[in-house]
Amino acid sequence: MRKIISIILLAIIFIGIILTLCKIPFGIHKTKVGQYYIDKGREETGAVNIVTSVVVNYRGFDTLGEVTILFLVAIGLGAVLSNFKEKGKRKIEPASLILQTGCRFLFPLILLFGAYIFIHGHLTPGGGFQGGAIIASAFLLIYLGCHGKKINEVASKTTESIGGLVFIVIGLIGLTVGGHYFLSNFMPKGQINTLFSAGIIPIIYIAIGFKVGSELAGVIDNLMEKS
Amino acid sequence: MDFLSNNIYYIGAFGLIFIGLFIILVKHNLIKVIIGISILDTGVNLFLIAVGYINKGTAPIFSKPGLDAKNMVDPVPQALVLTAIVIGVAILALALSLAIRLYQHYGTLDLRKIKEQRW
Amino acid sequence: MVNPVLLIVVPLALAFALPLVGLISKKIIKYIPVLAFLFNFIISLLLIPKVLHQTIIVKIGGFLPPIGINLFVGPVGILFSTLIALAGLLVSIYALTYIKGGSKEKYHILYLLLLTGATGVVLTGDMFNLFVFFEILCISSYALVSFLGNKAGIESSIKYLIQGSVGSSLLLLGIGLLYGQFGTLNMADIANQIHSSNSPSIFVPMVLMITGLGVEAAIFPLNAWLPDAHSSAPSSISAILSGIAIEVGLYAVIRIIFTIFNASSFLMFFIFLGVLTLLIGEMSAFSQKNIKRMLAYSSIGQIGLIMFAVSLNTQYGVSAGLFQMVSHTLGKGLLFLTVGFMIYKTGSMEISSFEGIGKKMPLTSLLFTIGVFSIVGLPPFIGFASKFMIIRAALVTGELLFTILIGLILLGTVIEGAYFFNVIQSIYFKGDNEIGNKK
Repeated sequence: MRKIISIILLAIIFIGIILTLCKIPFGIHKTKVGQYYIDKGREETGAVNIVTSVVVNYRGFDTLGEVTILFLVAIGLGAVLSNFKEKGKRKIEPASLILQTGCRFLFPLILLFGAYIFIHGHLTPGGGFQGGAIIASAFLLIYLGCHGKKINEVASKTTESIGGLVFIVIGLIGLTVGGHYFLSNFMPKGQINTLFSAGIIPIIYIAIGFKVGSELAGVIDNLMEKS
Repeated sequence: MDFLSNNIYYIGAFGLIFIGLFIILVKHNLIKVIIGISILDTGVNLFLIAVGYINKGTAPIFSKPGLDAKNMVDPVPQALVLTAIVIGVAILALALSLAIRLYQHYGTLDLRKIKEQRW
Repeated sequence: MVNPVLLIVVPLALAFALPLVGLISKKIIKYIPVLAFLFNFIISLLLIPKVLHQTIIVKIGGFLPPIGINLFVGPVGILFSTLIALAGLLVSIYALTYIKGGSKEKYHILYLLLLTGATGVVLTGDMFNLFVFFEILCISSYALVSFLGNKAGIESSIKYLIQGSVGSSLLLLGIGLLYGQFGTLNMADIANQIHSSNSPSIFVPMVLMITGLGVEAAIFPLNAWLPDAHSSAPSSISAILSGIAIEVGLYAVIRIIFTIFNASSFLMFFIFLGVLTLLIGEMSAFSQKNIKRMLAYSSIGQIGLIMFAVSLNTQYGVSAGLFQMVSHTLGKGLLFLTVGFMIYKTGSMEISSFEGIGKKMPLTSLLFTIGVFSIVGLPPFIGFASKFMIIRAALVTGELLFTILIGLILLGTVIEGAYFFNVIQSIYFKGDNEIGNKK
């Protein structure tokens, strides 16, 4: 019975969407705002990666909201799993020596790769969120491979908060100095296609990279401890 | 056939959206419903990127000095999808932690049996 | 002149800094939301005269819309922002001593972020920004509903989460369909380019977006989560959810229908939906034994009334609807806070255990009675003024259909009065004092 009602509902939505999709043909040039970003993006922001300049500079307020949502989830997860009582420990077999040594060998290499991605966010594809996720996967490898090592909770909380505060403080500095707008790009733009260019964009991405990495590592820590 | 190969991304995106909605409406195991939420999010993200595609366009990055600005895809949907993926991950993490607590309280993950609150 | 961006950024910065403060000293954590909302309230009051003179548009990053994001601070926006700051301030003072169990630091962070998301939804001028702040509001309310960690809380929270996440995916789909047709994400820009909302390519995104936002705004078929969620949350959070979260959701729905789509023919459907929501909410509340579930169903009824008032599409109607929103926030907030204190003293949520509390807790019962009189609509409280404005707005149009609907609304008000006065009677007059018997 439920299946029939849901199929009817989905069919109605399907017909509606097909009627709408006639106006959005696939692969045709139809943008106004996007063309402006591609044409003028390099001069106004100094970043070679146009997606980065859209994410951090033109639509930076959305990125601030996104960073807030990740922070929110880390806190909410901690709140939901806080009073969890464990019902007896399972016996876990310790990993072999090869696995432990391999994990410990790979850990700094993965961290280096993640740091490379978020530092070069304005030159190559990537950025703060992608780099932060790679850093968190390095911590996951240590959790899975070598049992008994945990991350320092105080350090991860401090990194989270400082990362978020750096983002907001840079925005507020833009409010007082520079163009009197929140999040205006007030630092010198340097020479294009080099590492030290694009004003505030690399600084914000480094802050986001640290924040996302420590947050996701905190989430993994919470879930691993309580199950 | 030509219509199919032209709009393959739209068909794929809406296929995922409908599969996700069907799973959420019909299945009664909580983990399957959470997987359905994740599939729905993936379908919507794929649709957003497919809207911004221009035929024979490349990524909007001026890595070499002589690149032409005419053949680049729209950068705005890519920025929107970055945010939407993060939101999807956030909801998934919260849902899974609630599922852990729910199993601890009720002992089952069947949504038909978790109905303690009635009128 | 103060920049309205500070209304959103300052609570956000304090929320990020709270864990650091918690490392230093645990005692001052609970005073930080009070400070944040005091600041917000003062800034909103200072901005009101300037906004009434001319709408402020704040460019973020210095880019003109539609290239960048802008904040659109109009008279309705600043009214809502003041209301959110006032309610946040009062409930955070209540929560100084009310929150005892669980981890207090996480409660205050989530509370700050919920109200930041609500302020962001009312002040923004860009579609995707609306989606992001709306998600902040929704996700923090999912986490706060399950804060107490008991069976009821976790179950309500997972059901709320499933329905809310389907709603937000539909909202994002609607935004994507609109972007594909118009190439811009700014609300004013899209409104300029839409000529009529009768073609299916405009109608379908509008329906998707209203369905997506309607899950949070508790419109009729989509509000199955509301009684469970509002009754299982801690009482201070129930006050904020009933008073602010569903009203901000309804404000977003109204903004989309009026500003972007300008769809007058759709509003007739909304009027019927509003009256239907009102009747179903009031009739369901009549048979409840749990006091918080009863108050939650009454919230559904009030949202139906506000929907009816705003869909009249006249100047009287819309202003009456906004006034009703203000009086509902204050009245329902008062009711939930006093009920929270009464539940704390008696230890149970059933109405039958409140018998005779009037003697033991005279001040709380008096405040509860004031709240009930305001919600039902007795003079001289502002609930009377707002309901009178709504009825007058409907009668002034002079159509027979509206007069019949006013009759149904008055029937709903009578049912509401019946069940609330039942509670007041059992508080003041019935039987022995249950607390005395337990001891």
